[in-house]
Amino acid sequence: MLAQLRSFAMLSPLQFLQRDARHFQILFLGIFLIYGTLELQWDTEWIRYFTLMGTCLIVQTVFIEWKGMPWTALKSAAITGLGLCLLFHATSISTLVLAASIAISSKFLVRIKGKHVLNPANIGIVGALLLADDAWVSPGQWGSGPALVFLVAAAGLMVLLRVGRIDTSVAFLLTFSLLDLGRTVLYLGWGMDVWAHRLMNGSLLLFTFFMITDPMTTPNATKARIVWSILIAVITFAISTFAYIHTAPVWALAVLCSITPILDLAFKGERFSWLPGTNDNSSTGSTGTHGRSGVPSMTSSIIPIKP
Amino acid sequence: MRTNRLLAIAAICAAGSASAFCGFYVAKADATLFNDRSEVILVRDGQRTIITMSNDFKGNVKDFAMVIPVPTILQRNDIRIVERRVFGALDAYSAPRLVEYWDENPCQRWEYAENEMLMDVMPTKSTGMSRLFKEKATKDYGVTIEAQYSVGEYDILILGAKESNGLEQWLLDNGYKIPTTAHDVLDPYIKSGLKFFVVKVDLERMQQSGFEFLRPIQVAFESEKFMLPIRLGMANSSGVQDMIVYAFTRTGRVECVNYRTVKVPSDRNIPLFTKEKFGPFYKDLFDRNWKQEGKNAIALEYAWNVTPSWDGMKCDPCVGPPPMPAEFAEAGVDWALPQGGGGQVFFTRLHVRYGREKFPQDLFFQVTPNTENFQARYILTHPAEGDLSCSAGQDYLETLFYKRTREMDELYALTGWDLSNDRKYMEEVKGKMSPERRNGLEMPYAPVDGPNDDGGNDGGGSGIPTMIMILGLAALLIGVFMQRSAREPQMN
Repeated sequence: MLAQLRSFAMLSPLQFLQRDARHFQILFLGIFLIYGTLELQWDTEWIRYFTLMGTCLIVQTVFIEWKGMPWTALKSAAITGLGLCLLFHATSISTLVLAASIAISSKFLVRIKGKHVLNPANIGIVGALLLADDAWVSPGQWGSGPALVFLVAAAGLMVLLRVGRIDTSVAFLLTFSLLDLGRTVLYLGWGMDVWAHRLMNGSLLLFTFFMITDPMTTPNATKARIVWSILIAVITFAISTFAYIHTAPVWALAVLCSITPILDLAFKGERFSWLPGTNDNSSTGSTGTHGRSGVPSMTSSIIPIKP
Repeated sequence: MRTNRLLAIAAICAAGSASAFCGFYVAKADATLFNDRSEVILVRDGQRTIITMSNDFKGNVKDFAMVIPVPTILQRNDIRIVERRVFGALDAYSAPRLVEYWDENPCQRWEYAENEMLMDVMPTKSTGMSRLFKEKATKDYGVTIEAQYSVGEYDILILGAKESNGLEQWLLDNGYKIPTTAHDVLDPYIKSGLKFFVVKVDLERMQQSGFEFLRPIQVAFESEKFMLPIRLGMANSSGVQDMIVYAFTRTGRVECVNYRTVKVPSDRNIPLFTKEKFGPFYKDLFDRNWKQEGKNAIALEYAWNVTPSWDGMKCDPCVGPPPMPAEFAEAGVDWALPQGGGGQVFFTRLHVRYGREKFPQDLFFQVTPNTENFQARYILTHPAEGDLSCSAGQDYLETLFYKRTREMDELYALTGWDLSNDRKYMEEVKGKMSPERRNGLEMPYAPVDGPNDDGGNDGGGSGIPTMIMILGLAALLIGVFMQRSAREPQMN
């Protein structure tokens, strides 16, 4: 661990960010949280943030110990935790713990051929919405506007260029915007500004650039991902437009995640890996400069958290 | 220090005990402050929505006509006329409030005074009279009269339409004055399957009834749509309009799903002299806050559990009595009444200032399980009186001086008022201090000399630098990233 820290300390901040796309994600989701708190006047609910982040990290630690994974896998839990902080609300601590626990444990408990099936933050939200009566999502909390589009899309693109999941976002956004254009502007006859206002909704953008793009739960092959994203967009459009369910994207994603394994069977593609060469990622062949060896043994001395 | 301690006591009192009344209510900023406003009571229970609309129509009642898109064909029982005073009662209960506290003289030790407020309950009775009448449709405009009712002083039609031109023509031919811009929104509403609830006043019945003002109309329907169609009303008005929404649900707060719902600044300590101009204070505060939020956010002004059977505190301090069974009955909150099961009721007050430019979409809402209480509350603190020459008294004055400086800063930040003529508020404290204490004061950095920079078009106040900083950072990172990735091979 010390050697690892030393190696990080020798990196410039930029090199550190470059090392793993998850660093970018953590940075940007953190910026969004600060932006929401300072600029959008969200309630600063420290208890909620600590509970969600803490539970995600603790549950991940338990599984890391159990499965003997490298400690770098904690970064994924931090991303899931930040994602929940940005989207999920509940009045009781127990519901927050429930959502975070479902989110992280789903990664380890629901696996097909060694790949987890469900998008962690999404299934955490859906699970808590179904199981608890004090959970909710606030689709309006981000507002809607061009600045938001720039901020979320720019940050999202940086991560996506790196992890190669830009096809997912583009296919989803394109399909959804065209369907909505057809319905809102061409059929109903609203002005273009109504359409733009619907598309510039911050929650939708966050979902587009940061949630459905999770490389671990999207189909491996590009073609499959595009089909998959289009289906999410169609379902989202249908249930938001005709059933007035304002949290439509999270439900659509939950449904589509469950067919990812089928798409993976039908379309062959290389599985994604955050850090090629370490044992929490598997099949990509490249080790390159990003692979590290001996991570588990180095980290085994800092395991303070037991369930 | 003493002041702080007392305020701390007050804050604990406010947060905790069920019966103690903290502070003394002195003023409220009610909805009548805002011109060009409308008030709506929104009750949502499962898929059932009850909307009560009050309007401040100021012209000749014979010109009054109202067209409201509704999701279903309303039955006669779904339409009621209610007494206007239910709005007054809800407004009085939930309006932004000013409270005052008194500092203790550290040289004398006085008891902290508490005041109780009497709850004044006015019983009301619901009304509902009906008489059906007939109206002839002379031409075929593609308009169907789905139903027609005569309720109170109003003649009501429920229209279904195939296309907007016909509907528009029908309305014009039948003496309804509609703005030319209404055409843009009628079509989308027709295609969304909405019906049109069309209201006119029957002058004869209005005279018979003896009512001077138009009474609020209430409609109830079952629909998954929980929304307020503001676009049609917008056509009537240039610029911006204010709407106060009083919402009742079983579970918790109501919030908007396609615009931000933001709390108005609350629990701020402001200078004593604001007491005399609390109305203008809140009006300017609201206006400034609305601009700072980008003119497209909805303000939360009040949120509280008002369950009749719940014995917790229903307001703190109360500026008006909490809603009583009479108000629940009037508003349509059936489940709150003993015969309706006496279930939980949560009340939300939202203040929407909307205009065509920033509010292109109708307002869609959702009911959340969020039961956190909130009120717009502003605090005045009276200084200790009497001889303050003792050492503790001088300490108190020093604290008071800095406290007042902060109050002035706060007032400036909230309203943007020019406070250069109000420096005496701090000077009078200095006057009571001994010369050496006075010389030891650090001069405040208070922006009280600054001119009022509250321009009409400032979109951002303090928010803009944050925004620019964040966007700048993102842009910088993107640039660096692009440059780097051009040099380095892709990782995967």
